[in-house]
Amino acid sequence: MYISPLREPLVTGAKSYKQVTDDILNPMEGKPGKFWYAGITLALIALGLGGFAMYITVWEGIGSWNLNKTVGWGWDITNFVWWVGIGHAGTFISAILLLFRQKWRTSINRSAEAMTIIAVMCAGLFPIIHMGRPALAFFVLPYPNTRELWVNFNSPLFWDVIAITTYLTVSVLFWYMGLIPDIATVRDRMKKGIGKKIYGLLSFGWTGSARHWSRHESMSLILAGLAAPLVLSVHTIVSMDFATSVIPGWHTTIFPPYFVAGAVFSGFAMVLTLMIITRKALNLQNYITVGHVESMNKVIIATGSIVGIAYITEFFMAWYSGSVYEQYAFVNRAFGPYWWAYWIMMTCNVITPQLFWFKKIRRNLAATFVISIFINIGMWFERFVIIVTSLHRDFLPSSWVMYAPSWVEVSIFIGTFGLFFTLFFLFIRFFPVIAVAEIKTVLKSSGEKFIKKGDRDEK
Amino acid sequence: MHNASIKEFTKDFIFPKKGTTVFTIALVIGFLMTVVGYFVGGIDGHRFWANILLNGFLIIGLSLGAGFFVAVHLIAESGWQTSVQRIGEAMASRIWLGALMIIPIILGVHSLYHWSHTEELDALLKMKEPYLNLPFFVIRMLVYLGGWIFLLSKIRQVSLMSDTNPDIKLFYRLRTYSAIFVVFFAITSSTASWDWLMSIDAHWFSTLYGWYTFSGLFVNSIAVIIIFLVVLQKIGYMQHVNNEHMHDLGKYLFGFSIFWAYLWISQYLLIWYANIPEETTYFVTRIKGFETLFYVNLIICFVAPFFALMSRGNKRKSDWLLYVSIVVFMGHWIDTYLAIMPGAVGAEHAHIGLFEIGMTVMYVSVFAWLVFKEIAKAKLVPENHPFYKESFDYENIK
Amino acid sequence: MKSNNYITGLFWDDTELIKAIKEIQDKGIAIFDVRTPFPVHGLDDVLKLKRSRLPRLGFVAGAIGGILAFWFQSWVFTTSWPLNFGGKPFFSVPSFIPVTFEMTVLFAAISLVVGFLIKSGLGPGAENIIFDERTTDDAFLIVVKITDNSQSDNIFEVLTSVGASEVKHVEPTKTDTHA
Repeated sequence: MYISPLREPLVTGAKSYKQVTDDILNPMEGKPGKFWYAGITLALIALGLGGFAMYITVWEGIGSWNLNKTVGWGWDITNFVWWVGIGHAGTFISAILLLFRQKWRTSINRSAEAMTIIAVMCAGLFPIIHMGRPALAFFVLPYPNTRELWVNFNSPLFWDVIAITTYLTVSVLFWYMGLIPDIATVRDRMKKGIGKKIYGLLSFGWTGSARHWSRHESMSLILAGLAAPLVLSVHTIVSMDFATSVIPGWHTTIFPPYFVAGAVFSGFAMVLTLMIITRKALNLQNYITVGHVESMNKVIIATGSIVGIAYITEFFMAWYSGSVYEQYAFVNRAFGPYWWAYWIMMTCNVITPQLFWFKKIRRNLAATFVISIFINIGMWFERFVIIVTSLHRDFLPSSWVMYAPSWVEVSIFIGTFGLFFTLFFLFIRFFPVIAVAEIKTVLKSSGEKFIKKGDRDEK
Repeated sequence: MHNASIKEFTKDFIFPKKGTTVFTIALVIGFLMTVVGYFVGGIDGHRFWANILLNGFLIIGLSLGAGFFVAVHLIAESGWQTSVQRIGEAMASRIWLGALMIIPIILGVHSLYHWSHTEELDALLKMKEPYLNLPFFVIRMLVYLGGWIFLLSKIRQVSLMSDTNPDIKLFYRLRTYSAIFVVFFAITSSTASWDWLMSIDAHWFSTLYGWYTFSGLFVNSIAVIIIFLVVLQKIGYMQHVNNEHMHDLGKYLFGFSIFWAYLWISQYLLIWYANIPEETTYFVTRIKGFETLFYVNLIICFVAPFFALMSRGNKRKSDWLLYVSIVVFMGHWIDTYLAIMPGAVGAEHAHIGLFEIGMTVMYVSVFAWLVFKEIAKAKLVPENHPFYKESFDYENIK
Repeated sequence: MKSNNYITGLFWDDTELIKAIKEIQDKGIAIFDVRTPFPVHGLDDVLKLKRSRLPRLGFVAGAIGGILAFWFQSWVFTTSWPLNFGGKPFFSVPSFIPVTFEMTVLFAAISLVVGFLIKSGLGPGAENIIFDERTTDDAFLIVVKITDNSQSDNIFEVLTSVGASEVKHVEPTKTDTHA
C-alpha cells in the first residue's frame, strides 16, 4: 500500500520487526521500576479509601450521602456519566478509526481499549452502590420469577443496564481478540516455567497461521463495524436518562449526539493524559510520536467544537422556546449559586480545546498534557452542572435546595481513581501496552526507515 | 501504477453535445409538468412557495454537503478521495445556483411563515420577534449565502490553481479555507435550518433540528456524488476510479444513512417519551395528516439503504450504488417535503402532484447541467494534490 | 513410512515470503500453512484463502438477538403483565428500540468471537503445533507437510532455492504443542 512520503512516519527510529517486539515487551520483562511500585501503592490506598466509603454507604445507607428529595442524583450519577464518557475513546480509536483506515491508531488502541474497559468498570460501580439495597442489584435483570414481575423495558435506566453490559462485553471481546496474537508473542519469548504456562493458556493456542490471521482480520472488521454504532448508542442511552424527562435543562433533543461528542472529547483527553506519561515511563517515544499526539488533538478540537456548538444551540433554543422555565434553567446555571461550576465548565470545555488550532500547541506535549487535564475537569463539571442545576431548581420554588457532597461521596470518587489506576498499572505490567502485531503491519509503509533483519549486526 | 497509465485513465471530460440536448429536453418536460400541474392542481400561494423552498433547499443542500465532504477530507489529509474530489468540488462551486434558487423565498415569506404576519402575532410569536422578523431574516440569509459562496468558490479556485502550480503552499491554503468553511458551515447550517425550515412551525422547537437537517443534506450529497460519478463512468470517464473508491463511497452512504436514522429516532423518541403537547404537535400533524409518507420516509431513507448496502460486495458495485443513491435521493426529497409541507401548506392541500414533481425535475436538470459543465472546466483529478498517488494503491479489508 | 512430518522454510521478509510462495506453488508443491507475526498484505490472495463466513454468522446471530429482544419486550408488555408507564401504549415500539439494538449487537459480537475461536481451533488449553517460536516475533515460516520421507530432499531443495534462510525437518512431539 502506497503511503505518501509527505506523511509523518508513524514509527520513528529506524526499527526492525524484532526491535518493535523488544521495545514494547521490554517493560514487561524484568522487575518493575520504583515508579510502578509507587504508582500502584498510591492507587491501592485510594482504592482502599473508596472501598471503605462504599462499605459505609451500604452499612449506613444512602443517608451517608448528601442527596435529598429535590436533588436525587448528585456526585454518584455525575461520576457514572463521566467514567462512561471517558470509556468511549477506546472504542472510538479501535473501531471507528479502523473503519476510517487511520493507521496512527495502532500505537494507542491497545491502551485505549484497556482504559475503556477499566473506565466502564469504574462507571458500573455507581448504579450498584447508589441503590438502597445493592444486594438486590440482580432485580434489574429480567429473570423469570414467582411474582411474574418484569423489569421496566421502557425505562432509560434499564436501557442503561443493557447498554453498559453490552458495551463492557463487546469491549472486552474486542480488546482480548486483538490481544491474543501479542500474548502469543510474550509466550514464545518466555523460557519454560509457570509464566510461560499462564501466557500459553491466555494465548488460546495462537499460532500465527495465515488462515487464522485472515479470519481474525475479518472478525475484527465486523466487530469494529458493530462497536462503532455501539459507542454511539451507549452514550445516547445514558443521555436519555436525562432527555426523556420533562425538566428544563434535561429534556432537550440534542442530548444524544451532544453527549456522544462530549464522551469522545473527554475520552481522548484521558488517553492523552495517560499516553504522555506512559510513553516517557516505558520509553515508547518512537511509537507514540508527536504526530500521534497531534492527531488526537485534532479529534479533540473537532469534538470540543461540537460540544461548544451544542452549548450555543441549547442557549439559543432556551430563549427561542419562550418557555420561562427553560430560560430560567440557563440563567440559573450561569448566575445562580452554582455559577462557579458553570464557568469552570465553559472555560475548560469551550476555550481550552480551541488552543489546538495553533500547530505549536498541538505538537507540544507539556501543553497537551495540561490541556487534557483541564478538559477532563471541564467535562466533569459539565455533567455536574447538567445534573445538579436542573434538579436543584426546577418548576416549584418551594422545593429549591442546595446540594454539596459528603466525604463518603468524595471518597468513593477517589476510590474509583484508585480502581482505575490499580488496574491500569497491572495492565502495563502484565500486557503489552501497544498492539505489537498491528505496529508491524504499518512498519514497512509508515515506519521512518524499515530495517530488515540481516541489515543490522546481531539481534 | 505508474504515472503514465494514470494519465491515460483520467482523460479530461468534454461536455458532450448530446448533454445539451438531454438537459434541454428534461428542462422542458419539467417546465411543462410544472405549468400543467399549476393549473390542474389549483395551486395556491402556500403550495407554490412551499415548493420553491423545498427545491431550493434541496439544491443548495447538495452544494453545501458536497463542499463539506471535500473540505473535511482536505483537513483530514485523506488520500483516497482525491480520485473523486473534483465531482464534489464542482457541485460545491455551483453554490451560487442554490443561492439564486433559495433567495426568492424572501418574496414568499408571507405564505410560508406565520411569524411574518406581524399584525396578528400571538404572545409566543411576539416574544420571538427579535429573531423572527423579516429584516433580520433577510440579513441572516445574505450572510449565510455570502459566506458560503465566498468560501466554496475560494476552495474551488485554489484547487484549480494547484493543477498548474504544484507548490505545496497551495495545499496548505486549501486546508485553511476548508477549515474556515467547516466552522462557518457548522454554525450556519444549523441557523439556516432554524430560519428556513424550523420557523415554519414557529411554535415548535428542537435543539437537534439543525444537526438532523445537516445529516439529511449530507447523505443526499453523497448520493448525488455517487450518481454523478457512475454516470461519468458509464460514458467512459473516471476510469481510474476502482472498486476500492466505490466501496468507500458506499460506506459513507451506508453509515450516514444510519446516522440520519439515529438522529431521526433521537428526536422522535425523546419527544414521544416526554409527551409534552407543545412538542408532540409537530409529530402529531405529520402522523395524522401525512401518515403514509411519514413511514415511507423511514423505509426509503433508512431501511432500504441499510439492507441494500450491508454486505461488503454490494458496496463495491457501481450500478448497485447508483440505484441505491437514486432511492436515497428520493427519500430525502420526501424528508424535506415532510419538514415543510405540514406547516406551510397543511394536510388538506398538500399533495405530491405534477407541480411538485415537475418543479423538482426542472431544478435538478439545471443543477446537473451546470455541474457537468463545471466538471468539464478542469482536470478530472487534482494531480498535484500531495496525497494523490495514495488513491491508487490501497485496499479495503476483505 | 507414513507419519505427519513437516518441512519448514524460514524467511525474514514478508515481500520475499510472498514471492517464495508463488514460486513454490509454481513447482506444484502444496503448502500446508504459513506462519507470520502479523497479517501480511496479499497473503490471503496468494494462498487463495476463501473469504471467511463469519460475517454471515454475525448477521444471523444479530438478527436472532434483535427479533428475540423485540418479541420479548412486546410479550412482557402486552401479554404477561401490561402496566401503564406514563400513559405509554402497551405496545410501545419507540421505547423498545434501544434494548433491541443492544441485543442485536451483543448477540452478533459474541457469535463472531465464539465462531472465530471454534473455527480456528483456539481457546484456553488448545493445543496447536508451534513450529518455530520466532514466528510470533519477526520470522515468517512456510510449512510443507510430507507423508513419506522420500519427498523431503526435493522439498528441502525447493525451499532453499526460493530464498529460505533456514530449512528444517520437524517431527512434532508432545513437547512442541503449546496450550
